[in-house]
Formats: sequence, C-alpha cells, structure tokens
Amino acid sequence: MNKTISLTINGEKYEESVPIRMLLVDFIRDVAGLTGTHIACTFEGVCGACTIQIDGEAIKSCLMLAVQADGRDIATVEGLAKNGELHPLQKAFNDHHALQCGFCTPGILMNVAEFLDTNPDPTEDEIRHALVGNLCRCTGYAHIIDAIKDVAAKSR
Amino acid sequence: MYPAVIGDYVVPATVDEALKAWAGADGDAYFIAGGLSLMQAIKTRLVKPDCLIDLARVGELNGVRVDGDGVHVGPMTRYRDIAGDSQLDGAYQALRDAAARVGDRQVRNRGTIGGSLCWNFIAACMPPVVIGLGAQITLASSDGGRRSMAAEEFIQGPLETAREDNELVVAIDLPPAPSNAGSAYKKWGLVTDALPVIGVCAYVEVDGSGACTSARLAVGGLETGPRRSAAGEAALAGKSAGDADAIAAALKAAADEIDTQGDMWADSDYRKMLIGDLGREVVATAFARATA
Repeated sequence: MNKTISLTINGEKYEESVPIRMLLVDFIRDVAGLTGTHIACTFEGVCGACTIQIDGEAIKSCLMLAVQADGRDIATVEGLAKNGELHPLQKAFNDHHALQCGFCTPGILMNVAEFLDTNPDPTEDEIRHALVGNLCRCTGYAHIIDAIKDVAAKSR
Repeated sequence: MYPAVIGDYVVPATVDEALKAWAGADGDAYFIAGGLSLMQAIKTRLVKPDCLIDLARVGELNGVRVDGDGVHVGPMTRYRDIAGDSQLDGAYQALRDAAARVGDRQVRNRGTIGGSLCWNFIAACMPPVVIGLGAQITLASSDGGRRSMAAEEFIQGPLETAREDNELVVAIDLPPAPSNAGSAYKKWGLVTDALPVIGVCAYVEVDGSGACTSARLAVGGLETGPRRSAAGEAALAGKSAGDADAIAAALKAAADEIDTQGDMWADSDYRKMLIGDLGREVVATAFARATA
C-alpha cells in the first residue's frame, strides 16, 4: 500500500514512503509543504490550478499519483523566481494586473512558462488556445493575455 | 479528494514484464497509460484497482515509426508528440488535427492515443480517427496470445472495446501512406477544444485528375459508438474537390444514414447538421492534402 519514492522539487530532493493512492498534488502540498500549487476542481482535472511541470512539461498534478513521479524532476510556482528575482512572467502578471484573487495564477504561470519555452513568439490565438486548461473566474483573461504578450515581446 | 485505495503499483520496462505483472497480480489489475480518464474513475471509485501497472516506461510502446510496411503509432505516444509529427502529413494528417485539439496542453503532455482508444469515451477524438484511417490494432495477452483486428472491430459502443482485461494494445498500424491520399479531422464542442458533440474524420485517395478513387468517412460523438458511413463514402467516389454540390450531397447522405441522439449538448437534428458542416470542411481539407 505504501511505496518509497525519491524525486526533486525545485531542485530539492525528497525521499518518502507514501500511500500509492496519494495524488502528486497532495504530496507537493502536504508532504513537501509547498502550498503554492492549488486545488480547485479536485476531481475532473478541468481547472488547471494544480498545474506543475514534470521534467519541464506542464501537467495537472491532481491527475497523477505521487508514485508516478518517482525519479522525476518537478517544478512548482515556488521555484519560478530565481535569486530573489521574479520570473519575467510573474513580473508581467504584476505589471498588467493579470490576477485578482490569484487562486488560478500559479497553475497559469507553470503552464505558460513551458508554453513560451516551446513557442516564444505566439499569436493571440495561440495564447488563448494555450490557456484552455486553466480556468480563471476573475479576470476574463484579457489582462492575462496582455501579460503573456508582453513577455513574448520583451524576449524578441 | 482521496482516490480509492490502490493495492499495488508496478512499473514494467517491457510489454512482457507488463503482461507478467498482470498475470501475477492479486485481484483486479489495471494497465495505466496517460491515466487522465482512469485517474478520474479511481477518484470517483468507479474503479478500485488492486494493482496499477504503469506503462510510462515501456519504451517499445512509445513513438511514431515509418518504414516499408507502413506507419506504426506506438500506443503510448502522447497527443503532444502526435500533434507535432510531420511524418503523418498528407494521408494521416487527421491524427495531427485531432491530437492538437484534445483537451488542453496539460492533457496533451500526458494523454496517449492507446489510452484513448482503450477507454473509448463517447466524446473522444482518436476512436473515429483510427476508424477513418483504417488502422489495424494489435493486442498481446497475458496468456501469450496475440491478435490483430481492424480499428472498426476493436472500437465498439462507448466505453467498450474488443480488448479483454488481460490484453494490452501493443500496435496501432497504418498501411504505407499513398502519396495521393489526404485526411482531416474536425470536431465541434460547446466551448473551444471541448469534448466533441460530433467529430468527423475524412480520408480520400485521388487519381491523376484529382477524382476520388477511395474514401473513408468516420463520425464520433454517437451514443452507439463511432462508425463509418457507407452511403457517404460511396457518394464521394469519383468526385473532385471542386464538386461542391456533390460533396454536400454525400455528407447529407452520411447524416441521413447515421442515427444521432439528442441530449443536453445538442439535439439529434443538430448533430446531423454538424455531420454535414464539419464533414464538408474535412472532406475539402482531405482533398487539398491529397493533391498537395
């Protein structure tokens, strides 16, 4: 019923015995204590608030078991800022008021950071298409899209 | 939310190891691919696995390979990788169309074609696409057996396939892609990239004059499971991309032939209209790709 797993989160190693049924998001929040990764829909995997990166790719950590992350490299929102400097996306979200309540923001940041790695100069349509898996009920997305466009423009 | 208790979890490296793990497991063992649908079922406790056999590290099941025998799509190939694979362009481009719009980025980063075919959700894109492209599905069994069948035979009603619990899909094969062939897929859902209310896949082969010598038309989103339309396919024979009226009539014949259900997303007549509208568009795209 339990398995021992070892993985890294934001560069830090964790080795723990966990129940097989433990979701990765619960490992991140309750075992590693990194509560920046959020839980909203909890079941269907439609809200995207729990989005993290595993080996550099954005996935929803509520649709994966912690044991499935054994040996893998995880990045959460806590790892985005480096050496006290906000990630360009975090800075742009701040500048453009791309969050109101902020609950969905960590998931959006982790998804879009990878999206911009794969597509550094996206069209607005491509940005909207990339956001399909992240629900935001405050902003109407307009300022989020402005912030993402700004990051893309500045990286040109 | 706590998923159901899961008795054991194993991570085989080969198909053989995966099948042996199934045979050796106590109680109900499940293979898990991308796990997006299965995890939902485990969370709702519809499925309570005594053992999960994770296929994530079975390398032989992953990736698209093209050789003299045809195009081989590993069942563990993710949507992300199918969507980005230009080897499929032309004859089998419908796979890319569908994979690029399944769920969302996070889903495409994990979800696999094999997982989608085995789950065969009513509103899934891969089942009608493999039927439309005439794929051959091969299953390997924990008792050492192996069998192949047409995708049409493998895919049955929603959530049903020809697969037995102790079988694993090990190959999704397509014949060598003819250079004079094209395919396309398009779905319609209530919001962007939503689960399809209707999805249509078209495949055409054309002669030197651009006339259709062979066509396949498959529709998904049906309560009886995805299916081909013999009437639509027959009516496309001999037609060219410019024969707009004849193509529209072929899609009308397809919509008339197919039983559609009404539900909270769309009524039966609306589904028929979608078969016509989406169908005309994918047939046009398939012709364009066949003559490109």
